[in-house]
Amino acid sequence: MFGTSDERRILWQHMREPVLTAFALLVMLGINVALGATLPFPHVWVVELLVAAVMVATILLFSMEVRHEPPLVKLFAGIGFFWVGILFTMTLVDYLSRA
Amino acid sequence: MSAGATDGAVGVKLVSHFATVEQQKRAAVLGMWAWLLTELLLFAGLFLTALILRLLHPEAIQEAARHLKFWIGAVNTVVLIGSSLTMSGAIQLSRLGWQRGMVRFMLATAALGTLFLLLKGYEYYADYQEHMMPFLSDRPYELKDSPPSRLFVNLYYVATSLHGLHLLTGITILLVMTWQAGRPGFLSRHQNRIEIFGLYWHFIDLIWILAFPTLYVLNR
Repeated sequence: MFGTSDERRILWQHMREPVLTAFALLVMLGINVALGATLPFPHVWVVELLVAAVMVATILLFSMEVRHEPPLVKLFAGIGFFWVGILFTMTLVDYLSRA
Repeated sequence: MSAGATDGAVGVKLVSHFATVEQQKRAAVLGMWAWLLTELLLFAGLFLTALILRLLHPEAIQEAARHLKFWIGAVNTVVLIGSSLTMSGAIQLSRLGWQRGMVRFMLATAALGTLFLLLKGYEYYADYQEHMMPFLSDRPYELKDSPPSRLFVNLYYVATSLHGLHLLTGITILLVMTWQAGRPGFLSRHQNRIEIFGLYWHFIDLIWILAFPTLYVLNR
């Protein structure tokens, strides 16, 4: 498919970041699966949510390439997730703080 | 054989209502993000409801979650991460103008998306066998003495089938686009379609990355 060494070199130059991103996502998934399967400590859900959040940030920044977008798109994407953050925080603070 | 047997110019054809190609490309990206964020809010409401159910009825939700196919969910996450990689490959090759390689990566992406749906279908079938479909009136629900678990399981089906619908839509669009992208000159006129569709595909992956821990992992 990619016959010449030049083509393979160019391909690797362009695919290096997507491959590393996929590898990082698989490692983080492995951590979450291991934690979910073994439940090693009582509040393991905090770590699981943090790992999921890092996975989402990885997809946004590297797979969806938000970091290369113009400021307006960065602002737009950031506000969207920030809004969801407000939604989750305010709702969960209510439920978690009930007697 | 060269990866780009039909190599040619890469670009975007300017349409009349834009002043420049750059403006046209940026408007397309911003428009796609506007739509993706409405989708994010839709799914966020479902995931938040699942978390609240978990807080209010921990035992019932854990009991229901024990019936979910944790390992199929994990394998499906690997499949979607793989499909994101092949989609990124298609985008990279479209930028290089390597049309044939790009088409192959697009087909691989569609194949992985289809594999996800097949595994999900098997999971639903196993749930059916275990009487874990509370919305079926003619099939007694396994946890019938636990109303909160019924809520959670129904929510699980709403969230995962909605995600599956998005994936099915994505596969259909991808196959049509692959058919178009195989034609000579596609990349010289419509390269940014690959980029815009890539945003959608990665977003489907992102939603599943949130769905898997919210539904399968946290409730164990």
